[in-house]
Amino acid sequence: MNRLKKIKELPLLIVLIAISVFIAIVNPAFLSLENFLDLLKSNLVLAMMAMGMLFILLTGGIDVSVASIITAVNVILGQTLVHFTQNIFVVVLIACAAGILLGLMNGLLISMLKIPPIVATLGTMSMILGVVLYTTNGNWITGIPQNFIDFGRIILFPYILGDGRAIGIPIQVVFLIPVILLTWFVLKHTVMGRGIYAIGGNIDSAERMGFKTKKIILFVYSIEGLIIGLSAVAHTSIMRQVDPNAFLGFEMQVIAAVVLGGASTLGGYGSVFGTLIGVSLFSVINNGMILMRIPTFWQKIIVGFIIISSISVDMIQKKREEKQKVRVDVEEGGTYAV
Amino acid sequence: MQSKIKKLFSSKEGILLIIFILIFITMSLLSPNKFLSNYNIQSLAYQLPEFGILSLSMMLIIMTGGINLSLTFTATLSMIVGGLAMSSYFTATNMPFVSVVIGVFVMLAVSIVLGMFNGFIVSYIGVTPMIATLGAATLFEGISLNITKGGAISGFPLMFLNIGNSAIFGIPVPMIIFIVVLIFMRILLEKSKMGAAIIMIGCNPKVAEFSGIKVKKILFQTYMIAGFLAGMAGIIMASRYNSAKESYGSSYLLQSVAASVLGGTSISGGEGKVLGTLLATMILQIISSGLNIFGLNRYLTNVLMGFILILVLAINYIAEQLKKKK
Repeated sequence: MNRLKKIKELPLLIVLIAISVFIAIVNPAFLSLENFLDLLKSNLVLAMMAMGMLFILLTGGIDVSVASIITAVNVILGQTLVHFTQNIFVVVLIACAAGILLGLMNGLLISMLKIPPIVATLGTMSMILGVVLYTTNGNWITGIPQNFIDFGRIILFPYILGDGRAIGIPIQVVFLIPVILLTWFVLKHTVMGRGIYAIGGNIDSAERMGFKTKKIILFVYSIEGLIIGLSAVAHTSIMRQVDPNAFLGFEMQVIAAVVLGGASTLGGYGSVFGTLIGVSLFSVINNGMILMRIPTFWQKIIVGFIIISSISVDMIQKKREEKQKVRVDVEEGGTYAV
Repeated sequence: MQSKIKKLFSSKEGILLIIFILIFITMSLLSPNKFLSNYNIQSLAYQLPEFGILSLSMMLIIMTGGINLSLTFTATLSMIVGGLAMSSYFTATNMPFVSVVIGVFVMLAVSIVLGMFNGFIVSYIGVTPMIATLGAATLFEGISLNITKGGAISGFPLMFLNIGNSAIFGIPVPMIIFIVVLIFMRILLEKSKMGAAIIMIGCNPKVAEFSGIKVKKILFQTYMIAGFLAGMAGIIMASRYNSAKESYGSSYLLQSVAASVLGGTSISGGEGKVLGTLLATMILQIISSGLNIFGLNRYLTNVLMGFILILVLAINYIAEQLKKKK
């Protein structure tokens, strides 16, 4: 069982390594420590949001409102920092609360009113984004207090480069790592996690098995909201201002990264490790295209091509495996248990 | 007669019709001079077809249990390629009629090819529609941007503008195209064998396969038709805007999903009526144009649209629960 699971993420890992090697050959700067840290800093929010989306996809749901939620939390966060308090802990709490509330709204619509997730989140996306753009008029929020900016600039384990610049791990990993660990722990080691996978497999049988499906759905959308709240803090501390249009279309990137990592949009399949590989693949490709000086207009074509081809290859692989499994089943008289 | 009326009121389409009439009356009462003005009714009639055709295309895919996130980019990529062919042939030869024929032909051909591309990946390779079409959307957008370099394709012959802007016997040409598409869709989904097969695939592809339906082939053809419809909408849009650009109609993407679902199409497939989608499209269109007339901030219009979508689905659910209790 365990070995089988490890193999599942292997093809993707090979793709990731192959692309990395290719980029490194074209531009050796790719392998520098500085580039690696840059990659980490610029894709940390994607990685966090991907963890949130993983919860949702595992239950067979989908959330297209994530970009609007992080935008809303960013605006709330920005206004709080500029007008009310400079206390970072209070701000983090407010961001988390706002994220959880917005996530809970989705959860209630989906679990209580049984509105299909894609439609419910489509509706809330339109509403949340509408309110945000109406209140901000699309204008940036600037003038973030200095203490928050200084916090965002902190680097852990600094290393002084030859030209006197200090590089190191960005402070924002204090949000990323707990989120990854939390996701992994909930999914792997709690009853809730088992319930999440069970719902994704088949919601009716999960209900019959005794899982409280409504509660689980409320939980996944709330925890996703919490993760988005933390992502908003990380994002604002990196950007030092709030742009209400920064996340336009970001929901598709998040979903694509998670699905590239092996999660199924039908639910029941997906892992933290796979998602991290999916996010890395996305970030490496985006970074590599810049390092290889590919014109911007080509970048979308390449990303689209990679999404389609890697999932197609994965699909063909799965079909082949299934055929083999059936054969083993027949030949061994059905002793092959998964 | 009475039973017929009762039937109408208890069906989903009947309720949608009542909602449409109520909204129409409310808008007319609130602003009789503007909403009922000749100008507004005219512009509604010119705007509805492109949105309506895109909604029908989306509905077709949703009925198979899929979703098409590349819908608007299919429309824009085909109008860009066709528009480029048309305008360059026109500048080279100065023959308006031939260039329009070439342009329209290329637009439709490209949209069919793009539909086939989606269909191939979804049916023969077996990738989940959402991801396949998400990848396709990125790909199509990239190709479009590469052709236009971020600008717009223009320089169409004047004759081409007639498609989107003129009327025959007082009926706008886009409306005529829309009516033809509606009749075609009605026959396809509700009268033909293929329609029955699409509904079965949407309900349960495995059962459909076992009952002798060639699921892969039907799915492939469905995506092809959906691409063709997107191409039609693309022609109308290119003609109305007198140019072709990758971002045209991008707001229709999610609106078309909303229109399908509001119209009673089940998001998990296997259920849906052409009439329902038509009524839902009309409702969304008069709300957005009505609110525009009242001068409501466009961001608040979005809020209201989202709210209406959720409200209608919530009412649907509660009504169903009440019926069950009875």
